Amino acid sequence: MGRDSSLNRIEPSIAVVRRWMVRTRLDTDAVLLNRLSIETHPGRLLVLICLFAFISGAVTGSFGAFGGGNTGQIVYSAIKVPMLLLITFCLCLPSFLVVNSLLGLRSDLRIVLQALLVTQSGIAIVLAALSPCIAVWYASDGDYQHAILANVGAFAIASVVGQVVLRRCYRPMIAKNTRHQTMMRLWFFIYAAVGIQMGWVLRPFIGSPSAALHFFRQEAWSNAYIVVWRVLVRTLFG
Amino acid sequence: MIGKSFQALDRILRGEGTSPEAIQSGEIQFPLAGFCVVGIALAMVYGFCMGMFSLFRDVSPSIGHRDQYLQVLAAMVKVPALFFLTLLITTPSLYVFNALVGSRLRARAMMRLLMAAMGVNLAVLASLGPIVAFFSVSTPSYDFMLLFNVAVFGISGMLGLLFLIQTLNRLSSTNTFTAPTELSPVGDDESTPQGSHSTELTEPTEHSTTPAAIDTIPGQVMGQHVKLVFRCWVLLYGLVGAQMGWVLRPFLGNPELPFTWFRGRQSNFFEAVLHTLGRLIGH
Repeated sequence: MGRDSSLNRIEPSIAVVRRWMVRTRLDTDAVLLNRLSIETHPGRLLVLICLFAFISGAVTGSFGAFGGGNTGQIVYSAIKVPMLLLITFCLCLPSFLVVNSLLGLRSDLRIVLQALLVTQSGIAIVLAALSPCIAVWYASDGDYQHAILANVGAFAIASVVGQVVLRRCYRPMIAKNTRHQTMMRLWFFIYAAVGIQMGWVLRPFIGSPSAALHFFRQEAWSNAYIVVWRVLVRTLFG
Repeated sequence: MIGKSFQALDRILRGEGTSPEAIQSGEIQFPLAGFCVVGIALAMVYGFCMGMFSLFRDVSPSIGHRDQYLQVLAAMVKVPALFFLTLLITTPSLYVFNALVGSRLRARAMMRLLMAAMGVNLAVLASLGPIVAFFSVSTPSYDFMLLFNVAVFGISGMLGLLFLIQTLNRLSSTNTFTAPTELSPVGDDESTPQGSHSTELTEPTEHSTTPAAIDTIPGQVMGQHVKLVFRCWVLLYGLVGAQMGWVLRPFLGNPELPFTWFRGRQSNFFEAVLHTLGRLIGH
């Protein structure tokens, strides 16, 4: 009974996000704005994000379990993927809202927040939808490097879909005020910049078979950008 | 009082505090003392986020944890000091520059305008605080964090100055054009935009019709020489701010050095930034 009622609450939210994933070109801006403001329930979307990111994380962390190794990574990753999405979201929000106000877009703040939540939900849904593929990959291929590649691929697809959903949600707002276009690009930039470092800090998601189980990597935290830069310099200049 | 000041800052951010009808009196309205307190609080929030870097670094045993806490405290004191001292030093020059270009803005109005611009600057800075804190906690590289903070100060400073220039523009226009509009209701070309604004205002307007805080209002355009003078002043403000930051250093605290409140007189801000960039890229 309980499961039924929670499913009943989640399902309309999935339908809402799904409608933003399918083509919106035929809808007028007014219809789209109306859809964003009326159909979107922030609380339900947050539950949806947590749930789907949890599923995706659990599958990502199941690499060791498929090889008969530790299963603890499943729990850790199931917690870490929602953390990745939500903490990044929360860190980026204050500056985004202040700059929105400064550009005179305060009156659209509620609808902007709803657009961002729909985008986050889109990312979480795609990640969860791809998790069966990841599971099949894990079951058929025991190579850790290949597992990393599969997950990078899944995150890349989710990011592209997120970008598409964000653009569709923003379309009616941009029609109203072109400054929203700047803000949409700014959000994408801040979110990606913080998200990359957050993903780096929260490693491991998959769990190397040779390493012991830990929530965070045992070595000191480092900066993803500096690491990438050093690898690049080493590769190019030896 | 604090709540009201926060609301005043919010109104300024939204552009309501500097809309043509709000600055009819020739100055921006907000409680000055409370606004100072809010400004200091926002700067301290950013100082704390910045200070997280020293808290989370592994320091050599000779330095000790007391120095790390002192560094956080120092950052929380120095960020407000940086802004208020820069304001103090650059106000007279802006007043003189402003008088030179023939604006009738009084000293009090000028002071309030600068405070409002500083408020906008600090609001953006503090809102970037969570991101800075996260990077401070997770990045061991002193050079990276130094440049990251310089970039954040740069971005917020630019938005603050953009607000300052646009509001100065509005205030000057209000002062210059109000009198002719009153004298000749029909108005010439210059006063027409002003007139059209006041007719708009009598109608029930939505929030969205309020121009943004950093918008240029149509018809209120500064002359070329005025623009040039203010651009020069903005450059001066940036230079003084950067050097003030250099005088007040260390904000972050090099993990390899023991804590000091100030460092000796050597080099300058721009040279140091270039050196740091070189070290970071050269790794």
